[in-house]
Amino acid sequence: MASRAEPIPRRRPSAASSWLDRHIKWLLIVPAVAVVVALTIFPLGFSLWVAFVQFDFSLGPEHPWVGLDNFVETWRDPIWRASLWRTVWFSVTMVAIELCLGLLLALAMLRPFRGRRVVLTMLVIPLFISPVVVGGFFDLFVRRPYGVANQLASWVWPGDVAINFTNDKPWLYIVLILADVWQWTPFMVVILLAGLSAIPDTLYEAADLDGAKPWQAFRFVTLPLLLPIILIAVTFRLIDAAKLFDIIFSLTRGGPGTDTYTTSYYLYQVGFEFFHLGHGTAGAWMFMIMLAFVSFWLVRRLLKPVEEGT
Amino acid sequence: MTGAAVDHGHASSRTVRGRRFRVGGVVRFVFIGLYLGFLILPLYWMAVTSIKSQDDQLSDPPVWFPRDPTSINYADALNRFNGWKGLENSLVIAFATTIIAVAIGTAAAYSMARYRTGGKHLAFWFLSQRMMPPIAIVIPIFLLYSRYSEDWFGFTLIDTRIGLILLYTVFALPFTVWMMYAYFRQMPAELEEAALVDGCSRLQALAKIAWPLAAPGIVSAAAFAFIFSWTEFLFAQVLARDEAITVPVALAGMITFFQGNLYGQASALTMVSLIPAILLGILVQRHLVRGLTLGAVQG
Repeated sequence: MASRAEPIPRRRPSAASSWLDRHIKWLLIVPAVAVVVALTIFPLGFSLWVAFVQFDFSLGPEHPWVGLDNFVETWRDPIWRASLWRTVWFSVTMVAIELCLGLLLALAMLRPFRGRRVVLTMLVIPLFISPVVVGGFFDLFVRRPYGVANQLASWVWPGDVAINFTNDKPWLYIVLILADVWQWTPFMVVILLAGLSAIPDTLYEAADLDGAKPWQAFRFVTLPLLLPIILIAVTFRLIDAAKLFDIIFSLTRGGPGTDTYTTSYYLYQVGFEFFHLGHGTAGAWMFMIMLAFVSFWLVRRLLKPVEEGT
Repeated sequence: MTGAAVDHGHASSRTVRGRRFRVGGVVRFVFIGLYLGFLILPLYWMAVTSIKSQDDQLSDPPVWFPRDPTSINYADALNRFNGWKGLENSLVIAFATTIIAVAIGTAAAYSMARYRTGGKHLAFWFLSQRMMPPIAIVIPIFLLYSRYSEDWFGFTLIDTRIGLILLYTVFALPFTVWMMYAYFRQMPAELEEAALVDGCSRLQALAKIAWPLAAPGIVSAAAFAFIFSWTEFLFAQVLARDEAITVPVALAGMITFFQGNLYGQASALTMVSLIPAILLGILVQRHLVRGLTLGAVQG
């Protein structure tokens, strides 16, 4: 584009456009910040207040200040702690599987082949189905007797298979993880594919000239350049997986007992089924603070160059 | 990003992408094939359930190929169970959210990437908007929309499209901002600087150089903003149960609440709701490819 020799005629910038130029960084950022602040300042303030008062629908309209009681009581609940650990291993397992599968698929699909477009289109379909619906359909898929999961299993496994996938361990965990993997692996594929396509070929050519093996090219060219995108994808997936609710809600309803309670589902139960909104909100704040530490640790690499940059 | 990426950012246009990873064509296609199997099985089951009669749905052993396909589920889902209304609302809400979130999100990301506005604190603040478990804010949002917006501003946002659009914009923004932030940061600034030297205003440099170069990123960010608003359930369930009912709320009503077993109708509505997905999927690819070739032409 800049190859033509003729210079672009210069105009003296008008006052308005020079004002625009001087303040452009603020003009660009203000709308986004304003929308977020306008819509979140009240809910956050309100929920912070709720976390420190007795806000219990079953105890009437008075809201006396109770200090840290909500936090302490939530933390004392063994179901809360169990749900927290379950959330950790659930989300880590899910995101790890999705990342590995997603990266492999993105690499496999990077080079064009016949039907690539069709495959890509089919690949993104699960993303357009609401998680609550995905949970519902996995339920339909595995429920006895008219779901097909047992039939499929009996084709692979000798003998009659009669697994209650929404009740028997470890199958219910496997079904939940599979449902999440089914839905969210495409997210990883699309993000990583976009990241991979942005890596310039010249770098691979240079690596080739230096005699790098494919594995080395992947390790020293692809991975470092892809890392920021990987970190973003993992961070967002992890934040969402840690808040896992919809699939639980429609697939197992937390059961059997409280065996598939995730933190979000626990908080929902406490707040909306048992009406201890104070406890639920206090738990939500503790959860958010923990999640913030984890995500900050994950993205610190991405944030660093901002401060160090010239 | 490393300096090398910036130096060579757009110097290449040849089509040898990915040749490094030739694990062997067969392994590659077997892998893609296996994954497609895993992907399609539940979709097939959904499609087939949508044309099954009630008897076939509940038969044991399961029916893989319905003997007497019926379209009754589609008619039912669309007309009796809020299907049309949900689709219309979902489309309007998702498109509006996408446009707003991408426009203001990309602008913010550009400012943060090129001028380091707000530094890491602002970037992290955007990210943190995504962390709050919905339970903590769904009640205050409900109160804000139903009672306080009336008291303070004289209008109500409960059960309106505008209400959901505003909320979804806030939820979609963190991802849009971060995605575009990453893109702008790995894009060389030299081209925009050259445009400034050539007499472009900053706004022109943004519109004519930065935006087109960032097209692949913008398209992905837009796709995910759309997806988020298309599939969000919990807030829609609380804030929009009637006039502004969305597809996920209508679907959840069929499979989780009353009767609880309207899987035929739910499958039918899900199938219809996938049409925009497929259209968007096709559109996104065309733009992804276009964005890439555009990036190559710039060099």
